[in-house]
Amino acid sequence: MATITQLADASSSGSGIGAFNINLKSFIFQLVTFVIVVLVFKKWLLPPIVKTLEERRKTLEKSLTDAKATEEALARAETQADEILAKARGAADQAITEGRKSAEGIVASAEESAAKRAALIVKEAEAHLDQERRQLREELRAELAELVADATEKIIRQKLDAEADRKLIEQSLKDIG
Amino acid sequence: MTRLSRRNLARYATDQLVAQNDVTQLARDIFSVLADDGRTGELELLMADIYYELEDHGQVANTRITSAVDLSDQLMAEVKALVKKTTGVDQVLLNPKIDKSVVGGLRIETATKVWDRTVANQLNDLKGAF
Repeated sequence: MATITQLADASSSGSGIGAFNINLKSFIFQLVTFVIVVLVFKKWLLPPIVKTLEERRKTLEKSLTDAKATEEALARAETQADEILAKARGAADQAITEGRKSAEGIVASAEESAAKRAALIVKEAEAHLDQERRQLREELRAELAELVADATEKIIRQKLDAEADRKLIEQSLKDIG
Repeated sequence: MTRLSRRNLARYATDQLVAQNDVTQLARDIFSVLADDGRTGELELLMADIYYELEDHGQVANTRITSAVDLSDQLMAEVKALVKKTTGVDQVLLNPKIDKSVVGGLRIETATKVWDRTVANQLNDLKGAF
């Protein structure tokens, strides 16, 4: 305290500290006030602030950790989704390929069946034509025979007189006997 | 009464004829049977059956000769001899018939045999050969 008084007196003079134009009393008063404020701040104000800051830091840290975990989970989910999508695409491609093969098989089978049926129809038609041809031939033959027999009969009637007929009868009796 | 078949009637008639029983009575009996059964329409068929039985028994051959022209006595005799030889009957009855549709040749028919040497038949054979 004596030191402070000494200092105060020195400041009021024009030499030493007074040369800096500083009011020592005021300065000391402000210094004491400052110290009191610092002490009050340190004792009563700083802990809650530090605590709050610490809590906020922890919260932020937790949030960061959570965000990182979420990001990792999202990345994993995206990877899984990509895998599932790839599998689904592969299955769809396979189904399309199988469907195409099956359709081609059905078409080929239908074509083969149609070709066989067409061949059968042609064969039946040919057989039918053959039969008709044979039938026509038979009918023509019969007609020709009829014509020949009629012509022969006409000629024989003209040529066969009673004498010739008698000889014919005699010959017939010899053949039978 | 059991209905007599035509074949049995014919056999009965044949037996009676062969035995030289009364022909008039035989005729009456047969006609009565046919009349009772309402079968008088079968008389012609019965006659044919009787001729068949008579020929089969070697008795009589009722022969129909069909030709386009009249046959001479010599030809008729030859036909008679032929029928007698082939059927083995004791007696041959000839029934000539003129039919221009046969064109020429002749046809000889008995109850058991037929010989068709007509031109018409040969022309039919010719048609059939085609």
